[in-house]
Amino acid sequence: MPEAILSYMPDSLQRILRPVWPALAEQLEEIRVRENRPLELRLSGGSRFVAPGGVLTGRPNEAYMPTRSDCAAVLELLTNHSAYSYEEELRLGYITIPGGHRVGLAGRAVLEGGRVRLQRDVGSYNFRIARQVVGVAKPFVPSLLDIGAATLHHTLIVSPPQHGKTTFARDLARIVSAGEWPPGAWGNGPAASRPGLKVGVVDERSELAACVQGAPRFDLGPRTDVLDGCPKAEGMMMLIRSMSPEVLVADELGRPEDAAAVREAIHAGIRVAATAHGNDLDDVRRRPALRELLGEGAFRRIVTLRRKPGEPLQGAVWDEQGRRLFATSGWAGGLSAGAGYRPAAATAQNGDERKGASAR
Amino acid sequence: MKLLGAALVLLAATLFGFFQALQFARRPRQIRELISALQRLETEIVYGSTPLPEALRRLSAAAAEPVGPLLGGVAAALAQRPQTPLGELWREEAERVWKRSAMKEPEFEAFTRLGLALGLSDRTDQAKHLKLAAAQLKAEEQTAREEQKRYETMWRSLGVLVGALIVILMY
Repeated sequence: MPEAILSYMPDSLQRILRPVWPALAEQLEEIRVRENRPLELRLSGGSRFVAPGGVLTGRPNEAYMPTRSDCAAVLELLTNHSAYSYEEELRLGYITIPGGHRVGLAGRAVLEGGRVRLQRDVGSYNFRIARQVVGVAKPFVPSLLDIGAATLHHTLIVSPPQHGKTTFARDLARIVSAGEWPPGAWGNGPAASRPGLKVGVVDERSELAACVQGAPRFDLGPRTDVLDGCPKAEGMMMLIRSMSPEVLVADELGRPEDAAAVREAIHAGIRVAATAHGNDLDDVRRRPALRELLGEGAFRRIVTLRRKPGEPLQGAVWDEQGRRLFATSGWAGGLSAGAGYRPAAATAQNGDERKGASAR
Repeated sequence: MKLLGAALVLLAATLFGFFQALQFARRPRQIRELISALQRLETEIVYGSTPLPEALRRLSAAAAEPVGPLLGGVAAALAQRPQTPLGELWREEAERVWKRSAMKEPEFEAFTRLGLALGLSDRTDQAKHLKLAAAQLKAEEQTAREEQKRYETMWRSLGVLVGALIVILMY
């Protein structure tokens, strides 16, 4: 599948990458192309440089150095020889390509009125290889369901970058939309074969659905509407008005207007599942917008995730009281729900989690 | 026999003169055509944000010889060899077309210089490059018109006269 990425490389880089491609395709996470600096591959096992002829090496001085014209060619290919039709992407600093892969850009920012208008002379590219991990959220789903209301709890998904937040949110949207409930999730009875819910995805950074010209590249389930590239706060309101979702999914809450939109959605009777950057809830609570929401108890379920390279995703589910409802078998408690979030009546179990964290 | 030879020489010289005159008449017209194509390209880029391959295909359908085939050729080359920088393809196509056209070196320079900037920056910048190229081409059009005035009729009669001179000398 990542084969498509090679077509965005000039011949010089293709010649170097093609020999290593078949062996690495499965563990490749990032390709870093930096002008006059070593060509780097980030694998699930670590970082390697690539020498001319397609030889992997640990030594940066042996590696191939992409030239200025290599970098210019990459930008031409990414923008289809038309940088002007990618002004918004150049401003935000990334371009999504077919397959859902995301290419991050760093160059010289062009300012206008003190704000970044776009970037030029791009000298660093980060090809982030996206993989949909179908079923990754499934074990967590039973603890996220609000049986009484026959829907999902308001859920906040917390993890550091690159630890599977977005992958989790994507799979959660797919499961909820498809109605792929784990056996017994709704108890035994007529409710056990409940259909999926209507899901609205606000995909501000085109990461959840990876839309290319409006069509999602990832499977988000049959009952999902995607609003692509739209600011979250505005997008949530637009979806509520226009698409009558039962569950809203959004990526990376953090700005004050996001909190207001979440509140609005909650009052409209819509369940919200959103992600936030952070090591644990303590981190998240330090961000003003999220602190308010958490203080109000807006999120009834908190999912913390952690992923070691090459291993399956680990995680735990907490309720708004800080009680742990679920954890995967390999969960070491490295990312506790955080002391600050725990009300006075914290459970002993949670205390153990924290001890585990400090011992590591 | 000698008469027939003389007639052939006269005819050849006259045709050569007419051909030269025609080149002088064609040059400003072709430059004009190129300028209007660039103006349409500017509209496509600035108001439509149309990706370049698509914009070039559209323009090539609307423009006359030799500009239509020129832009169409670039679009086709882009589809075939997307890995090659646009500036390179742009120049290759221009070299091919210029040989067959009445246009000369200064137009070629202005046109290929545009190719090095096209598609590489934002809309405002692209508009500037296109305007600059159009302005340079307009100046060339002006000189081409003056040259046309000066040399077109000259070449037309010069051909016949030179033919006649050769015939007289041969006799």
